[in-house]
Amino acid sequence: MKVEERVTSVFRDIFDNPDLKITPSTSAQDIEDWDSLANINLIVAMEKEFNVRFQMQDIQRLTNVGGMIELINRSIQKS
Amino acid sequence: MNEFRLDQLTPGLRQSFSVTVTTSMMKDFQSISGDCSPIHMDEAYAKHLGFKDRVVYGMLTASFYSTLVGVYLPGKYALLHSVDCSFPQPVFVGDELEVIGEVTEVNDTFNQVEIKAQIKKKDGQVVSRAKIKAGVRGG
Repeated sequence: MKVEERVTSVFRDIFDNPDLKITPSTSAQDIEDWDSLANINLIVAMEKEFNVRFQMQDIQRLTNVGGMIELINRSIQKS
Repeated sequence: MNEFRLDQLTPGLRQSFSVTVTTSMMKDFQSISGDCSPIHMDEAYAKHLGFKDRVVYGMLTASFYSTLVGVYLPGKYALLHSVDCSFPQPVFVGDELEVIGEVTEVNDTFNQVEIKAQIKKKDGQVVSRAKIKAGVRGG
């Protein structure tokens, strides 16, 4: 499964919405339940899904799903 | 009160305490929540439904998860983030409960700990299960 598909699957699981559609430009403004606690759950779930650890400064720079996918790809290459 | 810091919390760390549900707790919970459902207030109604007595509020039982996190695991430095819980069996006034929590994950990026918890009656019957997430303040 591609990274983008796995990311979508994690989003659907965290937001408990099997029909949730995300694109690289999707941000917290687009998903009503994407608050600070959901963001922690999302990041932790991504770390588990891809078996990587993110640095706080990288997390703080994230603004949308595209940035998250880039961070995941970079973290996979490093590991 | 325990004062575990994040670096003292490791998967497998376990804490527990016991508590007995009283009539006074039921009265206080009704007053706080405003939940006056007869299944919690009216013994005859609860018996009519097949219970041996009026049923203790599930959220009163769940309130002991607050005590678990705020007093025992991690204790003083905790801030509750979420509690995902279920109530597989009813609790009745007078039941002695054991509240047990075990650390399952520690995330040092977000200073967050995950705890698997359950509440059991004296005979071992599990009356509630929960997955809890709590922040642990530094400093």
